[in-house]
Amino acid sequence: MTLLTRTGAVMARRQVLWTLVVRDLKVRYSRSVLGYLWTILDPLAMAGVYFFVFTFIFKARRIGEQPYILFLIAGLLAWQWFSGSLTDTSRALLAEAKLVRSTNLPRELWVVRVVIAKGIEFLLSLPVLAGFTIYYMVKGQTHVNWGLLFIPVGFVLQFFLLVGIGLLLAPVTALVTDTQRVVRIFLRMFFYLTPVIYGVHAAPARVRVLLELNPMTGVMELYRAGLFAREVNWESVAVGTAVTVLIIGAGALVFARLERAVLKEI
Amino acid sequence: MSVVIKAENLGVEFYRSRRRKMQLREMLFHQRNSAPRETFWALKDVNFEVKEGEAVGLVGANGGGKSTLLKMIAGVLIPDVGKVTVNGGVAPLIELTGGFIGELSARENIYLTAGLHGLSRDQVDERFDDIVDFAGPQVREALDTPYRHFSSGMQVRLGFSVITTLDEPIVLVDEVLAVGDRNFKEKCYKRMETLLEGGRTLFLVSHNENDLKRFGTRGLYLSQGELVMDAPMEDVLDRYNAEVDAAR
Repeated sequence: MTLLTRTGAVMARRQVLWTLVVRDLKVRYSRSVLGYLWTILDPLAMAGVYFFVFTFIFKARRIGEQPYILFLIAGLLAWQWFSGSLTDTSRALLAEAKLVRSTNLPRELWVVRVVIAKGIEFLLSLPVLAGFTIYYMVKGQTHVNWGLLFIPVGFVLQFFLLVGIGLLLAPVTALVTDTQRVVRIFLRMFFYLTPVIYGVHAAPARVRVLLELNPMTGVMELYRAGLFAREVNWESVAVGTAVTVLIIGAGALVFARLERAVLKEI
Repeated sequence: MSVVIKAENLGVEFYRSRRRKMQLREMLFHQRNSAPRETFWALKDVNFEVKEGEAVGLVGANGGGKSTLLKMIAGVLIPDVGKVTVNGGVAPLIELTGGFIGELSARENIYLTAGLHGLSRDQVDERFDDIVDFAGPQVREALDTPYRHFSSGMQVRLGFSVITTLDEPIVLVDEVLAVGDRNFKEKCYKRMETLLEGGRTLFLVSHNENDLKRFGTRGLYLSQGELVMDAPMEDVLDRYNAEVDAAR
């Protein structure tokens, strides 16, 4: 019930939401001409490093899909949205304390705005993925299929997941000061517990059950569905969707419960 | 005249210490939060109604709950008990420069801040010249330089200018008249008078008796969170002054 009314309240202010998103992107890209380059440089550099380590040193040919670099880029771009959102939504209310204190907007908006701005950065980085895909198609090493249609589905699923986590984190960080450190450590661990540099198929069956509980596993499967021939792990998509719904529910509840205390503190 | 602001049994409770912030480290290792748990009521059992077009001034010593009440009306603080109903939009002259970003130019900032308060791009286009005129020639010259290069006076002037061009029927003012040079202060006063003549409802917090007398016709006297007097401004100020003198 509250979830619906709060969503309605945020939607009613979508013009403001859009203004804030544009502001975020402007600030990000006005600081340097190389703004765009910075968003794609990090995942590209990391893709290069992982490619080097796992192809030449571990000689692990089965952990991902071939071409491995394409597999890595698809995963790392989505991961960047995930980690960037978590870092920024966790301090969404603190960082904008002055604005939160002076404008009467539905407070959830401060979280949603971060996820959207980061999501647009993710979308803007997709041409890089497209470029690599075309390159490998020309070389005949990859064949895309109708599974590409699942990319938008993955996007929507990841969006809701990130909003849910953000609603949990933002008020807690405003009240408990060292949450941000915990988020940083959590992100570094969670990176290896998410099929970014490996595919869920590479894990032994028992571990796979655990990985499927990670909602990002399903998201990754959806993004990669059209790029590689392997059958999508639908179980992880189903479980991931269910977990996402739970997280959104919990997030909305926690946010509503803590909102009053947060406004007094910031 | 219709009621635009209605407070019923309004109350809000704060922790005495500013540092209530918890730390996970403490919670894990000491099983408790070292910050004091003592609380106090910043506002308690406050009841009043404000009708359209009224000019209300809040009077009282520091810590009396004036700013807290203003924030409650602005909707940026949620009461613990009771409720406050506000019919109509609010233009809050609180934390004036809060929405501005140092990296962006003044021009971009005007669009963004006005947008945050609900104006569309076209509406800002229409008012753009008014906003800049009011902020003064210094601001006009520097329209395309980053906002962080502005002097603090210029920053506040721009903030005041943007917020007062909003069409909202209720205007909340928290001590901001104390800013700016004498010239600008006069302009602010004139702008406030125009707003009042235009039928806006004004809610003013100030320690300046002249400001209160000039703009407030009705006074609310808050003392330690309680509304002790609700009467014409002159009477409220007389009682407040008498009590301050008596305590000396």
